[in-house]
Amino acid sequence: MGVSCVFSYPVPEGLSGAQVVEVLQKQVETLGGIKAGTFLVDCETYQSVMLNTPKTLHILHNSEHPASCFAILDSGATLVADTLFNGLMSNLKNYYQARKGAKIESKGQRFQLSDFVLKIGSVSLAGSMKGVLVEVEYCPSVIAGDCWNLLKELLQSLKINVADPPRSLKPKMDEIYTPAVTMLQYLDHFNSFRTAAAMSQPPR
Amino acid sequence: MAAPSVSVCVEAAIENPIQEVRYDGQEIHVTPLSMSENLSKLAHKINFFKDESEEKGKPTSEGERETDEEKVLAPFQPSLWPWDSVRNKLKSALTEISVLYDVLNIVKEKHYMVTDPVSQEAPELKAPLQMIAKKKSLVIVCKILNTGADRLKDIQAEMGSNTPDNFLWELLQLRKHWRLKKVQNTILGELSYKSAGSRFWQGGTFEVLKMSDLAAEGEATNKKSSLDVSIPSELEGVAYIQVEVKSVPDLMDLTSATLKMPASLGAVPPDAYWQQKLETAHNVLFCKELFAQLAREAVQVKGTTPHMVVGNQILTNVFPGIQLSIVLCHYTGKEKKVNLSPPKLDHNHVLEHSLHQLLRKEHSNNLNTSPPHPANAMLGMSKRRRLAGPQAHSRQDLIQMAHSESMLVQILKQTKHAVLRLRSMHVIDQLASSLQDPLICAHWSCLNNSLESSVRVSITSYCYETNRTPLILIIGIDTIRVVVREGRTCVLSFEENELRDFLQWQICQHHVQSVQSLAKLHGWQVLSATVSSGHGDIEPYGTTATVMLASPKGNIRNDITYDPVDKALMFHLQTAWRRAKIPSTHTHNMSENKQTVSAHSKCKQQIAAIQENANKRPVHELWDSSSHGLSGANAPKRPKH
Repeated sequence: MGVSCVFSYPVPEGLSGAQVVEVLQKQVETLGGIKAGTFLVDCETYQSVMLNTPKTLHILHNSEHPASCFAILDSGATLVADTLFNGLMSNLKNYYQARKGAKIESKGQRFQLSDFVLKIGSVSLAGSMKGVLVEVEYCPSVIAGDCWNLLKELLQSLKINVADPPRSLKPKMDEIYTPAVTMLQYLDHFNSFRTAAAMSQPPR
Repeated sequence: MAAPSVSVCVEAAIENPIQEVRYDGQEIHVTPLSMSENLSKLAHKINFFKDESEEKGKPTSEGERETDEEKVLAPFQPSLWPWDSVRNKLKSALTEISVLYDVLNIVKEKHYMVTDPVSQEAPELKAPLQMIAKKKSLVIVCKILNTGADRLKDIQAEMGSNTPDNFLWELLQLRKHWRLKKVQNTILGELSYKSAGSRFWQGGTFEVLKMSDLAAEGEATNKKSSLDVSIPSELEGVAYIQVEVKSVPDLMDLTSATLKMPASLGAVPPDAYWQQKLETAHNVLFCKELFAQLAREAVQVKGTTPHMVVGNQILTNVFPGIQLSIVLCHYTGKEKKVNLSPPKLDHNHVLEHSLHQLLRKEHSNNLNTSPPHPANAMLGMSKRRRLAGPQAHSRQDLIQMAHSESMLVQILKQTKHAVLRLRSMHVIDQLASSLQDPLICAHWSCLNNSLESSVRVSITSYCYETNRTPLILIIGIDTIRVVVREGRTCVLSFEENELRDFLQWQICQHHVQSVQSLAKLHGWQVLSATVSSGHGDIEPYGTTATVMLASPKGNIRNDITYDPVDKALMFHLQTAWRRAKIPSTHTHNMSENKQTVSAHSKCKQQIAAIQENANKRPVHELWDSSSHGLSGANAPKRPKH
């Protein structure tokens, strides 16, 4: 179990997402990364139907943890469960209904660079490409605060300049890192992509 | 003293007791006795006893007394009425006592009369009556015995007979051990291990037959039971799995596997009891399943070691030169008797038992899934796998969890460990028996399992047991891990020679160590002690240990080197070109590969001799700055003692 940070790589104007991904991949390969399969992180959103204040529930899956299913509420509470949880959601369809067209996923190549695992994923919402997410994982460490600088350095070599750790990682810098925190980071990014997509659409 | 007079009234106490107190308070006293009445009362109280000396004069005295009394009584007749009873009583008492006295005299003295027992008349013996009485009692006894014997006879008859009741009883016994079901008119039973968790394709169904009653008693065959079973043909006979570990000189021996002829094992006689038949068939099925599984695994293996499956034999190489063969011997009794000298059966019972256990474990794993048993999820997952989801295990962890070993791999591991353990035992024992100088002692731990054992080897010198070199060897599947005294661990491979070389090296280390401690005892100063010194040729294994000692007087330096390969304990005396004076036996030492009887004691002697020599010589002659010897270091200047 290592520490992962997820960053959004801004797609410059004029370049398509795929090209950006390719560039990043080349950079990783020049660094010495070896292709080690693909990865997929997806998120589905459910809305509660009965309550006055609608509650949102996000269900995430990560190919790195194939036996698990992550459920995150708006408040940030996370639940790590077995994949049978998906079946449970179908039983709860009277209370939580899936939001249509809200399925978002990040898919791409996985690279192994000695102790690091780099994942370059293209984010797609309802079939259309929205952005690029880069996840860096440093396997030996379990405390984010200890290896944050190392990750920053690695990202700099990939020409990604970050000043601060991701928003959802900041409060957890001194705790033992769990996969749920990765999913929180992903969710943050997914939400921002969603809001960006919603804003870009002209209101009807 | 004339006090004012107080009238004191003196009264006697009430002499007459109060008989009655009336309701009006009047007391009625008991009338006091008159004088004569009082006297008679007192006379009644007198205890008259007879005086023994007056025996003869008794009657007369009695008469006298009587007359006296009568005399006394005569004039006082009316007033002596109370005495009458007394007199009568006295008389009767006297009579009684005199009679008693007479009887006693007769019995004791025997002067005039003797007492003779009165012979009683014998009762009349009526012989016929007695006989009748005896007859009656005997008849009763006979009746009891007869009823008992009859009962026993009935039970015996019941046991031996082939009545229909017996068949039912036998069927009941059969049902206690085997699963039976009735299909139309026949009763079928199940021989397979399916209810125990087996998934073997071959099932065994046996049929229960009723033996018809053999009325003719002249029949030679004596059916013990009225029930017989018919076993399916493929499960007939006797089978067993034979596991053998043998050393083959040639690695290519895998191809020269010959079909093994099972040794002459008795077939099941046809009129054996049904339980025996069924059990043998059950065993045949088990062995078949075991062999089928092993053969399947052997063929499907994707690893590096190839396994050879020929007919009823599986051959595989355990170590180079060691082969494991698993044979299914099934003797059905229909093979033609080939007069082969039966090959010497070398069963490895431990491994055979392990194989049986492994298959049984698989069966039970098939059946007993670990809890929980959810309705919607997969059954049979271990607790760790079930928690993999909530604990977000990575792919690597899941892959590791899913990895399970086949039976063949497991038995191969066990075989490897068994072989390695035997080899190590052999090496240690060989070394221990061949060397007398350092004593090697091995303590094998009783806590071990089929894949790991441990032994504690201690190297000591005779009489110097406090200086001990301990070694712990942990024998694994195909490596041996050694933990040395300082806590360092080395990993040795399965080669026998490696272990031997390692032990030799440790022996050398031990020698040098003991020299060191011995020198200290003698007052020699240890200048340096190196476990792995660099000088000398590079040995193929082990390192040379060196110790540099200085004599108490400081005039002699002694370097002792122990070379594990040549087993040469050489020591170089630095006594500045006086080496020639020192007898050659001291320096030339054990350059041959023979071990001395006690290098240790020789060392001791030599140190003593050197000391002696040193003491005899004047110091300045011995000391020279241009040093000899192979150590190469300059002799430090010492002040003259």
